[in-house]
Amino acid sequence: MTKISEMPAVAQSFISNLELPVAENPAWTPPEPAQQRRISIVSTAAVSRRGDKPFSWLARDHRVFHKTDRDLIMTHVAVEFDRSAWQQDLNVIIPLDRLEEMAQNDEIGSIADEHYSFMGAADPVTMEKSAREVAGKMKQEGVNTVFLIPI
Amino acid sequence: MCGLAHYFESEGLATVLVGFVREHMEAINPPRSLFLDFPMGRGMGKPNDPEFQNKVIRAAFDLFEAPNGPVLENFSEVIPVRDGRMGYALPPELVLSTSDIGDMDGLLSEVAAEMEALRPDYEAAILSRGRTTVGASELSIKDFAPFVAEFVKGNIPNSPRKGLPAIPLLKLVVEDLEAYYTETRTHRDRIDDLELMGRWFWEETKAGRLLLLLEAVSVASDNKVMLQIVEMSLMAPRFWSEGPLPGTSAAGW
Repeated sequence: MTKISEMPAVAQSFISNLELPVAENPAWTPPEPAQQRRISIVSTAAVSRRGDKPFSWLARDHRVFHKTDRDLIMTHVAVEFDRSAWQQDLNVIIPLDRLEEMAQNDEIGSIADEHYSFMGAADPVTMEKSAREVAGKMKQEGVNTVFLIPI
Repeated sequence: MCGLAHYFESEGLATVLVGFVREHMEAINPPRSLFLDFPMGRGMGKPNDPEFQNKVIRAAFDLFEAPNGPVLENFSEVIPVRDGRMGYALPPELVLSTSDIGDMDGLLSEVAAEMEALRPDYEAAILSRGRTTVGASELSIKDFAPFVAEFVKGNIPNSPRKGLPAIPLLKLVVEDLEAYYTETRTHRDRIDDLELMGRWFWEETKAGRLLLLLEAVSVASDNKVMLQIVEMSLMAPRFWSEGPLPGTSAAGW
């Protein structure tokens, strides 16, 4: 397992010193049965549709993309993660095709029409307002399940 | 990411997440999480490998069967990382200085020739994949290197893009330039190797040299934002290097 203590010095120092949010009384929502799940992806890869406003470096807001969108670009501030993977295949960070196939095979109920992206470099505490807005949009669309994927 | 899970869960949405730093997942305790021992940037593991991607998704969704939580599991397979680093890192000794700048027009010509030679395979990559990630800057491809060169020459040009200042735009141009090269090479040579891609682009290409000169100018710059870019490893990939770039503290974050 890749442990923080085994990471090179710069990364180790940065990752060790991050202030982590602690949830008081964390919520637990019972999941729906698999075939009734309508799933939306939340990515922190700072991707957006071409032409959307780029994310600022510590953005608190979010972008929306449709399940059929494939022409996405990335404006994440950090460069410490590999970008060559998603250049080859969007599904490696946002598996829209895989979820569509699972819905067709009745492994899940359906894939949501809309999916969401945040700037992963920002403090999640600053994103709370935006995250709750996203939750509201999801519920309007009948989403009951969220798949969160970092970059 | 883990913090966001709590917000969604508290809104009555069942969540599951995947993550790369297990210690953080343990500390933040999201309701359901699957630890991936993978390089960062590869949440579903492997590009163009639906079978592997499905394994990751199914392992994550299996966590919905847990009667209570928080629940944190390890994914059964590992994609090894090199020396504890989860992405490519420039060798610490590969550092240019402003005295290396030399003939910028000559270097620009070399970069232009290099890019032109890649163009047929870049276009083939787009045809094959049906998409490109190049274009976040919204500059045309032929303008990437000249825009960067202005900074290397000590200028801060006006941003051609309304609403986006020159230095944030510069960062997007740098990423577009790298994407142009790596999208082309991964398609042309049918390779998926982040270390090889990093070494090739940053250590062997003329475009990589142009960007290392930009880094040298940034370190010496009086402009706080330019300096911040290198302090925070926001341009050249030194986050996973063994030490900070000379002249910086790597403490910008």
